[in-house]
Amino acid sequence: MAENFEQHSDISAADLARLTQEAQAEATPSTAKIIWSEFKADKPAMAALIIIVGFILFVMIGALFINTPKMMETNIMGYFNQPFTADFWLGADSAGRSVAKQLIVGSRNSIGIAIGLTVISSTFGICWGLISGYFNGYIDWGMQRIYDFMMMLPMTMMIIVLVTIIPHYNSVTLTFIFSIFYWEGTSRLIRSRTLAESEKDYVAASKASGTNHWKIIFREIMPNISSLIIVDCTLSFAENIGVETGLSYLGFGLPSQTPSLGTMIANANDPNNITQYWWTWLPAALEIIILCLSISYVGQVLRRAADSSQRQGSVN
Amino acid sequence: MSLIEIKDLKVHYPIRSGFWNRITDSVRAVDGVSFNIEAGETYGLVGESGSGKSTTGKSVVGLEKVTSGSIMYKGLDITKAENRRKLDYNHDVQMIFQDSLSSLNPRKRIEDIIAEPLRNFEHLSKDDEKLRVLQLLNIVGLDADALYKYPHQFSGGQRQRIGVARAVATNPKLIIADEPVSALDLSVQAQVLNFMKKIQREFGISYLFISHDLGVVRHMCNNIAIMNRGRLVEIGTRDDIYNHPLHIYTKRLLAAIPETDVNSREAHRASRLAVEQVYQDQQSKYYDENGAAYPLVQVTPTHAVALPQTIAQQLASQEGEVQA
Ligand SMILES: Nc1ncnc2c1ncn2[C@@H]1O[C@H](COP(=O)(O)OP(=O)(O)OP(=O)(O)O)[C@@H](O)[C@H]1O
Ligand SMILES: [Mg+2]
Repeated sequence: MAENFEQHSDISAADLARLTQEAQAEATPSTAKIIWSEFKADKPAMAALIIIVGFILFVMIGALFINTPKMMETNIMGYFNQPFTADFWLGADSAGRSVAKQLIVGSRNSIGIAIGLTVISSTFGICWGLISGYFNGYIDWGMQRIYDFMMMLPMTMMIIVLVTIIPHYNSVTLTFIFSIFYWEGTSRLIRSRTLAESEKDYVAASKASGTNHWKIIFREIMPNISSLIIVDCTLSFAENIGVETGLSYLGFGLPSQTPSLGTMIANANDPNNITQYWWTWLPAALEIIILCLSISYVGQVLRRAADSSQRQGSVN
Repeated sequence: MSLIEIKDLKVHYPIRSGFWNRITDSVRAVDGVSFNIEAGETYGLVGESGSGKSTTGKSVVGLEKVTSGSIMYKGLDITKAENRRKLDYNHDVQMIFQDSLSSLNPRKRIEDIIAEPLRNFEHLSKDDEKLRVLQLLNIVGLDADALYKYPHQFSGGQRQRIGVARAVATNPKLIIADEPVSALDLSVQAQVLNFMKKIQREFGISYLFISHDLGVVRHMCNNIAIMNRGRLVEIGTRDDIYNHPLHIYTKRLLAAIPETDVNSREAHRASRLAVEQVYQDQQSKYYDENGAAYPLVQVTPTHAVALPQTIAQQLASQEGEVQA
């Protein structure tokens, strides 16, 4: 059969290298290049990206050099120490513990949980939505009933109950507990787009080309909803920072000896702290606001990069 | 033996409604269609929009869940998925889609799009595969620099060529061409049709050529089936259909071909109005009490029409007299 093609085309193996090279010269830039040029065209977004990446690296590495149990010991000498002093850059709290160090370790814990939660719940939600939307029929029906059941459960209450009945938990178990309840929104969103995408002819063409279902789902359909996935993931990440923070603030998140952004903001529960000792809670609150704003900025750029009609950057 | 034998094919889509979302009715997209496609020929399937042409085509490729009936290929009924797997059916039967843009994955490069059937059916080495893709691009008249581009960077005509290249990639025996040129302007239509013909000669491919345009079908097909509301109303050779149409629906379609000759425009208009008048007056004669077409009856060895036996004979002899 190969001869058949040889006969009717004047291209032979000898031309392969040359033609490949010609084609390479005309090739469309890769996605990574497009995203990068999009960041270069948008200065605030570039700043946001640098803030996020720099900050995450800083707290991840910085936390390694801090001895947490020692840091959390009560130090009477440091009782509400003023900020901007040699020993306490950001002052100390009622137990004389350094706010700056707590902020670093607490950020590491909170961001770590948010990243873990985003990765687990989004991966699960995306797979659930893709499979449910693609196969339709009975599979979809069954999967949607499970979804409905999960949505019916009162989420915050369930998490509080689970946290109370599990005797020893740490950041990792907490991440898994959160993940059980945070994939639903993503899955619904992905499912509805997958339903629409599965109707398109390129999916039919892939089936007619003998490609199997799993490849069609993850290699054909998924890239086509990647902009939705990226935007959803960045927004869930920003939201997930709030999840742990909120619960820790209420006292149901990480144990009190483990610092987190939530436990630090909880300092604001005391009216004295709000007015007099502002340094105990303000840095953590500012950090959350700045992080979430930056993340949503980056999310916007990623969305623009994914949608060719909205691009601002120019490649080449 | 024919290449493909379609027998009493039915595709019904359920309509769900009511509180329990139960199936209350169905859309009879294809409702009892039978015809055969011979090796090497181009078989035309013509009908107005919504008559079930695409659904028939997709059933033949194995993309549609068939309600009943059979499609025989190499002695096996390919409406069953396990038979399609056994035969590597889609290696031999491919499809060119109606909408070239939506049939090409916007996130894939042209190389990956054309190579997709090759990767699944032929397992070539990387270099052989790339060579084959380049040859295919060359055959459909595209340059090698298309290789790493994305579908949106091409014009409609070029995209349709890419669709053809993908369909030809495994050197199939039958290609379902679903209105391959209806989205293109006239000059590009002619180009695409001509190289489809060229490929057919060189590779010995059969086409099931789906169209609503009898002008285009005349250029391409030897045998033609006319489809109306999910049923066939007339089957015949090109000569049967164009020169001796019997069913009023066929006559209407023929009358709708635009007249390019300015001088006979008036006459054409008059005859079109006459056909329309007959259609309005004699609906009940040509369709049964439910508005569906009758079963086909043979009037000559090549020609069949969906009418009661007596009326068919009567019309056929009238046609004959006009001829004489
Ligand atoms: N998935 C579906 N669900 C329900 N009804 C459908 C579905 N697909 C097609 N139909 C119906 O079946 C009928 C035939 O559709 P089909 O696409 O085969 O028409 P067609 O002859 O190809 O028309 P066109 O020339 O516009 O492409 C139409 O009435 C359509 O509404
Ligand atoms: Mg159609």
